[in-house]
Amino acid sequence: MWDQVVEEAPRFFGYYNLIFIGEALVNTLLLSWIGATVGFGFGFLFAICRHPRLFGLLPLRILATLYVELFRRIPFLVKLMCVFFAFQLSGAQASLFTIALVTVVLSAAAFAAEIARAGLESIPAPQWDAAEAMNFGRWRTLWRVVAPQSFRIVLPPLFGYTVGFIKSTSIASQIGVMELTYAAKILNTRGFSALLCFGTILLLYFLICWPTKHFGERLERRLARR
Amino acid sequence: MSYTLIYSQVSGHIPYLLAGAWLTLQLACISFFIGWGIGLVNAAVLAYGPRPARMAVRAYVTFFINTPLLVQIFFIFFVLPDMGILLSPYAAVAIGMSLNAGAYLTEIQRAGFGSLRRAEMDAAAAMGFSLVQTIWYVVLPHIAKALYPPLANQFIIQVMTTSIAAIFAVEELTGRAYNVNSLTFRALEVFSITAVIYIALTILCSLALALLGRWLFRVNAKVF
Repeated sequence: MWDQVVEEAPRFFGYYNLIFIGEALVNTLLLSWIGATVGFGFGFLFAICRHPRLFGLLPLRILATLYVELFRRIPFLVKLMCVFFAFQLSGAQASLFTIALVTVVLSAAAFAAEIARAGLESIPAPQWDAAEAMNFGRWRTLWRVVAPQSFRIVLPPLFGYTVGFIKSTSIASQIGVMELTYAAKILNTRGFSALLCFGTILLLYFLICWPTKHFGERLERRLARR
Repeated sequence: MSYTLIYSQVSGHIPYLLAGAWLTLQLACISFFIGWGIGLVNAAVLAYGPRPARMAVRAYVTFFINTPLLVQIFFIFFVLPDMGILLSPYAAVAIGMSLNAGAYLTEIQRAGFGSLRRAEMDAAAAMGFSLVQTIWYVVLPHIAKALYPPLANQFIIQVMTTSIAAIFAVEELTGRAYNVNSLTFRALEVFSITAVIYIALTILCSLALALLGRWLFRVNAKVF
């Protein structure tokens, strides 16, 4: 098997294959980073909706809570299939990339909402009262007092979840999004040995995920020290 | 274009899907317990093992945590046959999930071992506890309190990741959803029902685990 790999390697790492894998890599990165960033934005909105000091509206709070609790309990693959067929059956023209992106956003929002809620709740209630005594409105309190402090707690785990979403995007290969896993499958179908295809892709995933995770852990330590 | 949801065509297949949920639980249990064993051994190696063994365990954990499970299973399923090891889809998925869970459970249990204090062991020795008594009355309650919630959480994650098995044509819940979809062509209905079954399944598991934790270890694991 090894001599087969050695024999194939120059052909596998040829110019066009490298471009092919490079494009797939860019797609994986775009999918996970855009998805995670937008999703985390929505997550904060959900957390704000659920905060009793910010929104008195009970139905909104219940809706946000339901979304967060239920969407975290559906596997990524099932969510992907639901979004995929919902797009298809509604007749909306969307690229496969968009469908996968929507799925990442939907799950990232649910996970980030939980972290953001923990972050907001970590700020003791007297700070809200103190800000109110200083004649701060509730949004100004959130923006000037609570949010800057809660970022310390919220930011590091978000990197961990980003790694999770980079890994989840591999499932998007199931609907045919041209990302790393799909590229590996195509190269494998073209006749390159499985070890070469999937080994290379595993290594690339590792090279994206490991620095991200490492950065999050370092950030956590640095923020904890302050 | 508007699409009308018709659940009546799918509702007949719900028992079939629920039987798939049973297989999902099985797969989750197998991978969780094998992964737990791997994690336990690894955490012990990290705490007491020689340096090369510790480095090997760290490499294993870092690699498996930072690569997607799907590609790991692809690797096991497509590369091992080249080496002469032919695995059934079920076995490949079970092995992949166990190895993957093993990495996460190593991390979790390492933290649990770290929460144990030397002074407690000394105190137990001073009270004349035997080793078994020390483990049963001192170490276990302490570790259980620190470990039970993250372990329960990992089990729920395991239940959800089993859906990946569908990609390898294992007929668990998601795999059966694919089957029903190709029978009825009511895609949105099938997958929304599947999603609801997953939600119900994980909530039931969370509840059972929370009750078990309270009953066995007096740990307050949260359901939501």
